[in-house]
Amino acid sequence: MSKKLIIDSSVLIVLSRKGELEEYLKKKKQEGYDILIPRAIARELTDEPKKLATGIKKRSPLLASSITQSIEAINAAVDDGLIKVAKVDYRKYSGVIDNVRKYLSQLEAKPEHAIKKGDPELVALVIQIYDRFREKIFISTQDKGLLRALKSFSTVVEYEALAY
Amino acid sequence: MSERTVSILKEVGNPNKARIVAHLTKHKGENAEDLGKHLGYPLPTVYKYLRELEVARVVRSKVRDKTKLYYASDFKLEVSPKRLMEMFEEQSILSLYKTRFGDDGMKRLDEVANKVNAGKMTYRQAASTLGISYYEFVSLLDETGAIQ
Repeated sequence: MSKKLIIDSSVLIVLSRKGELEEYLKKKKQEGYDILIPRAIARELTDEPKKLATGIKKRSPLLASSITQSIEAINAAVDDGLIKVAKVDYRKYSGVIDNVRKYLSQLEAKPEHAIKKGDPELVALVIQIYDRFREKIFISTQDKGLLRALKSFSTVVEYEALAY
Repeated sequence: MSERTVSILKEVGNPNKARIVAHLTKHKGENAEDLGKHLGYPLPTVYKYLRELEVARVVRSKVRDKTKLYYASDFKLEVSPKRLMEMFEEQSILSLYKTRFGDDGMKRLDEVANKVNAGKMTYRQAASTLGISYYEFVSLLDETGAIQ
């Protein structure tokens, strides 16, 4: 069975900006990883940058074009099946999502509704995939705050953070 | 500086392609084979160059009697250190951020980046604190070398 690798958006953004995304994903596939991202992350990888590119197109056409290329590279990776968009089971993992949201809102003294969906969904997806396959889950992120949140909510989950 | 200017610069920066443009300016409506013969380039190379020059709109073509004939397009380039600086300045999210938020914004970015590096805040929280999108925040970290 393939190893499960959950990738955070930051990794995908940095690699796509450098034009190294496809190569990285193919390498991971060859190493036997099944690459997953939660749905909230898929949205922030396309909708937000698309809005940004549209907003700066007149003033900074080159930058807008490079952002668009970076979105296209991510979309192509999803279309080619190199990245799978996984749906978090909100009914089953709503408790985890709520708790992560609470934890993050307390860290920054912000209301819970101001917490973006990506962090709670990513933590919930790690737990969900582990519950399903009962195997070590691999995570690729540089976000230490996110890893700290994951550590607090996945004490029974076996996972490993991968450098990219 | 527009995207078109950059593509023109990129194309005519290659001396072999620049020779094609120069040749077509004098010999209007030449086909690929004749171009290859006159300039001494292999035919596949000529086709490759012409395709790229057409994409950049430096060269245009017309089909006459089933033969594709090529013409140099009219363009004018103004290159100076100032223009180059403008071109590269506008290519970074950091410059956009600086323009939008000024020195105070840069100070806040520094504070937030320190928190993020210490694991006291997630990237998403940082983006939200700075009032920018997640994509912008990650790009800022990338451009400032905070992500390796």
